[in-house]
Amino acid sequence: MHSRPIGLLLLSLACTVLAGPLFAAEPAASSPGVTPSVTFELDVQPLLTRYGCNSGPCHGKSRGQNGFALSLLGFDSEFDYLALVGEGRGRRQFNATAEGSLLLRKATGEVPHGGGKRIEVGSPHYELLQEWMRQGSPRTPETAPKLVRVVCEPATQVLTPNASFQLRVFAEYSDGSRRNVTDVTAFQSSDRAYAAPSNETAGLVQAGPIPGEAALMARYMNNIAVCRVLIPQPGDLTDADYDQLPRRNPVDDLVWQKLKLLKLLPSAETSEAAFLRRAYLRIIGRQPTPEETRAYLADASTGKRDALVDRLLERPEYADYWANKWADLLRPNPYRAGMKAVWNLDAWLRQAFRKNQPYDQFVRELVTAQGSSWRHGQAVVFRDRPDTVEIASSVSQLFLGVRLECAKCHHHPFEVWSQDDFFGFAAFFTRIGHKGEGLSPPISGGQEMIFSTPAGQLAHGRTGAIVDPKPLAADSLKIPAEQDPREVLAGWMTSPDNPYFAKVMASRMWAELMGTGLVEPVDDLRATNPASNEPLLDYLAQDFRENGYNIKHLIRRIMTSQVAALSSKPTERNLSDTRNFSRYYRQRLRAEVLLDAVNDCLDTEEEFPAMPAGSRATQVWTFRSASLFLDTFGRPDANQDPPCERTSDSTTPQILHLMNSPSLNRKLALDTARPAQLAASALSNEQVVEEAYLWVYCRPPTADEKQAALELLPAPPDRRKGVEDLFWVLLNTPEFLFVD
Amino acid sequence: MAIHRNCEGLRRRDCLSLGLGALLGGGFVSALQSRAGAGEPGADKRPTGCILVWLDGGPSHIEMFDPKPQAPAEIRGEFQPIETKVPGVFFSENMQRLAAINDKFTIVRSVCHNQNNHGAGNHYMMTGAPTRIPVSCGAFVSFHPSMGSVVSAERGAPHNLPPYFAIPSITRSGGPNFLGNRHAPFVVADDPNSKGFRVRDVTLPTELDDGRAISRRLARKKLDQLQRYQDRATGDPVVGSDENFQQAVSLMTSDVALKAFEIDRESDAVRERYGRNALGQRLLLARRLVEAGVPFVTINDGGWDHHSNIFPAFKKQGATLESTVATLIEDLDERGMLDTTLVLVMGEFGRTPQISTLPGSTTPGRDHWSSAMSVLVAGCGTPRGQVVGATDTRGYAAIEKIYAPENLVSSVYLKLGINPDKIVYNSSGRPSHLVSDSRPIQELM
Repeated sequence: MHSRPIGLLLLSLACTVLAGPLFAAEPAASSPGVTPSVTFELDVQPLLTRYGCNSGPCHGKSRGQNGFALSLLGFDSEFDYLALVGEGRGRRQFNATAEGSLLLRKATGEVPHGGGKRIEVGSPHYELLQEWMRQGSPRTPETAPKLVRVVCEPATQVLTPNASFQLRVFAEYSDGSRRNVTDVTAFQSSDRAYAAPSNETAGLVQAGPIPGEAALMARYMNNIAVCRVLIPQPGDLTDADYDQLPRRNPVDDLVWQKLKLLKLLPSAETSEAAFLRRAYLRIIGRQPTPEETRAYLADASTGKRDALVDRLLERPEYADYWANKWADLLRPNPYRAGMKAVWNLDAWLRQAFRKNQPYDQFVRELVTAQGSSWRHGQAVVFRDRPDTVEIASSVSQLFLGVRLECAKCHHHPFEVWSQDDFFGFAAFFTRIGHKGEGLSPPISGGQEMIFSTPAGQLAHGRTGAIVDPKPLAADSLKIPAEQDPREVLAGWMTSPDNPYFAKVMASRMWAELMGTGLVEPVDDLRATNPASNEPLLDYLAQDFRENGYNIKHLIRRIMTSQVAALSSKPTERNLSDTRNFSRYYRQRLRAEVLLDAVNDCLDTEEEFPAMPAGSRATQVWTFRSASLFLDTFGRPDANQDPPCERTSDSTTPQILHLMNSPSLNRKLALDTARPAQLAASALSNEQVVEEAYLWVYCRPPTADEKQAALELLPAPPDRRKGVEDLFWVLLNTPEFLFVD
Repeated sequence: MAIHRNCEGLRRRDCLSLGLGALLGGGFVSALQSRAGAGEPGADKRPTGCILVWLDGGPSHIEMFDPKPQAPAEIRGEFQPIETKVPGVFFSENMQRLAAINDKFTIVRSVCHNQNNHGAGNHYMMTGAPTRIPVSCGAFVSFHPSMGSVVSAERGAPHNLPPYFAIPSITRSGGPNFLGNRHAPFVVADDPNSKGFRVRDVTLPTELDDGRAISRRLARKKLDQLQRYQDRATGDPVVGSDENFQQAVSLMTSDVALKAFEIDRESDAVRERYGRNALGQRLLLARRLVEAGVPFVTINDGGWDHHSNIFPAFKKQGATLESTVATLIEDLDERGMLDTTLVLVMGEFGRTPQISTLPGSTTPGRDHWSSAMSVLVAGCGTPRGQVVGATDTRGYAAIEKIYAPENLVSSVYLKLGINPDKIVYNSSGRPSHLVSDSRPIQELM
């Protein structure tokens, strides 16, 4: 498909040459020091992971498969050894006749095996297992060197489309020895369209036909390493191509650097009107009025884009829009926590965004909340999630971007987190007192006090031992009885040294403003889910931290970059780029914003149960305020778990609803709605068309569009139906539905 | 299979899920195969469908299909057992019409679980999975996709019909969870018994005539000038929304689909037979939808939480229900649809054998009881005239052929051509089986 450029060929040759001799000197499977024999932890357990025996759907699930249970991905050697050697009435392994053991007969498919044939009789791994049993199924001695880490070599590889390369994986041990474990490593590609292992045992990786990048995760036992594969777009580009790109703030340079690696070039700058609509929708969740659009387009000053962003950040809609987003993440189910409590939390959130509370204070107030569920909105989070384990999982995900939940029951399958980490983190939430009327669904009308208490402890899920609070990747703490452990936690979370805290917020805000995350999901930060532009994410986090965790500053930084003003229209040099921000990515308006926009366009009001007249959808504080429109467009139901799942894909019922819903059609035809107002006005048909375009698309129509639209409008005074139809048409097109 | 490269996040997640499949599951190929299989109804005969009549609140097993005449009065209740068409099988006297046709269906008397409140019980029965954390009575929770959403994702529907309907409302745990908004039920809230009933959104609003609707669509075609980035590699979500638009229009203009919604095409005789009430006409609408190819319809019928007033309620509400369900089963059978249509009648649990009068209440009732319940299963190859399992002489606990909700839900999936053992991935890529125990209730298969 693409011709292979000489330069790249040389580059990849150079990589191969560099890599080749270095590793060739390494013996294929030299043992790390002391023990020459085949032993369980060192040799056998990795095979159980490599062949998927201990995977989640097979014997790794909590009750095992057909009576044979292993720990998930081998996190518990003790358990696995017992399962293999001690249980199953000894049939799983025979020391005398290894070939007769269930382990080998099942794995080779000699006897029926739900998992099918996994290894060949006589293959090296078969012989390894055989040898292990012959030697009496020994465990690896306690004194043997411990596995310290796993590394991928190379750690980064640049490839041409369809090319392949050799990936090697090394295990490094506490005595400094290392061994090549490529053949017992399981690989996983973050995106198989770009690069995927073609031969796992040999560690061969093949690039796909399209330029792009992928992260290859290599798993050996509980350890993971990542190799980054870049497949630049073919073609010759010079430094000058990048030097000449506009740099309005440091964001731009970081994006251009990444584009340069992949030999991508950004799209052109978008039109002024498109940027205006984008900025309004992204910063305050509403469209500009015709008056605002006209004024912006007429403004000839050079700094008008930045001035627009500044202006929007001061608008009152800002607080409702962002509080509405945060409510997705925090809002409890009123059936569970009670209506008054839910309203109270919602009010607290709105107040926080109204006063632009610094993010560290916002989180500190939440995490250390005390007080009445009727008075202190932030305390409602603890009423809603009284369970230590539950609150710990959500705090770590929301504010640290760490999905600890897996580690409650087993070692996290793609991360360093163990059960010790999980319970250590959860132990911060053990000294929370509850007094008053607790949850009593379906009403839960009572008031509850949340306070700090000196007593309370947590037992480790597996060992049963009492666990001390322990920040992530740090040592356990002894916290005196008079101190609330949550204060200590909040201090650790918001300290400038915390590597996660600012980063996950930067990730969240980038995705909200740019339509796509640097990482997806935005709050799942880990080595095995790398950001498409780590330096950019690091910069944004640092910039956010250094500017007092000011959310408005973060928004301003992103929205005043050149990157935020790029057109969505792809060029030949960025057609397939969907994650490096070489262009803007379109996104459907979210339910609340869309409904408000419909009403703004039509000059109508929505009636929401439990809301004052004239309320906007972004002000609705509970999903129990019924709205077929909002539900159809994916307003999350606080009943769902996880509650924050909101998808922006469009569905057929959404399209049908916009076209045919009686309520929307009734609004279009109201005597007081905008179509009727315009039809009755003194404006000419041309002016009416212009108004309609400005309201719905936030731009004047082109000459062609005006011509076509005019065909809909008979001469006044009989033009009302025509104006209604024009509005119906515009509201039912993607230019309205999507932010572009 | 339509590949929607809608928003970048989703697409990456999909890939992530597939990648994880390679690592944790049976390998990438099998993950791909199981995806490719989605949407294919399987055999070339008439596709199967399911009508779930959900009795929200938990209907009493003793007042319906599992009377306990030998038990003391405080358990037995006010009603007598009656003989049924199947010798040796007795129902409560309220189930007159069903008793006369129980040679057409099976009653399972031995499904039970341990989730004794509405929130958790609904979730367990509706999804085949217990809630991941304890929830309470008032909860409307979703930790796992409901049967209807799974069927929507796995089967789809012809003529661009929504594959999953909920009438008149979504059940507590009837949502799609990680399968996404596309697989949420299409809710038909309006009462099909009312004059001028139309299924919302798929038909034009009454004020709008066909001519005007067509001219609007023509004008839309002309004025819709936003540039599409047609190359799939760009992942333009607008292209995906165009596909939705095409589907919407073809649904609106599909005779088969539209006819399914027009309940007044039924003769008065048929409409009378189902009963001129909301429930009757909703079941009739459900039959029409399944006839048109919709694979899953839930009728959410509330008011079965009889903590008080249980006996008068069963005389009235029980009678309406049983006669409507009997009509549905007879009608399906007469039309030759019973072999391909699964009918389920159930709630979140049964009720306490011991009659109680709660504080503040003046009339007796029964409370929540998940150790015993009766489930009516008809059609789709379900043996006719059968009773599966039994409870003890006082109706406290299932004692024979004890089955869990997992087994029931697995049976439903198998009957609808879906592998209950399939591995699915949640939004963070965690794999799980569609149903954790994929063994069906053998007697139903």
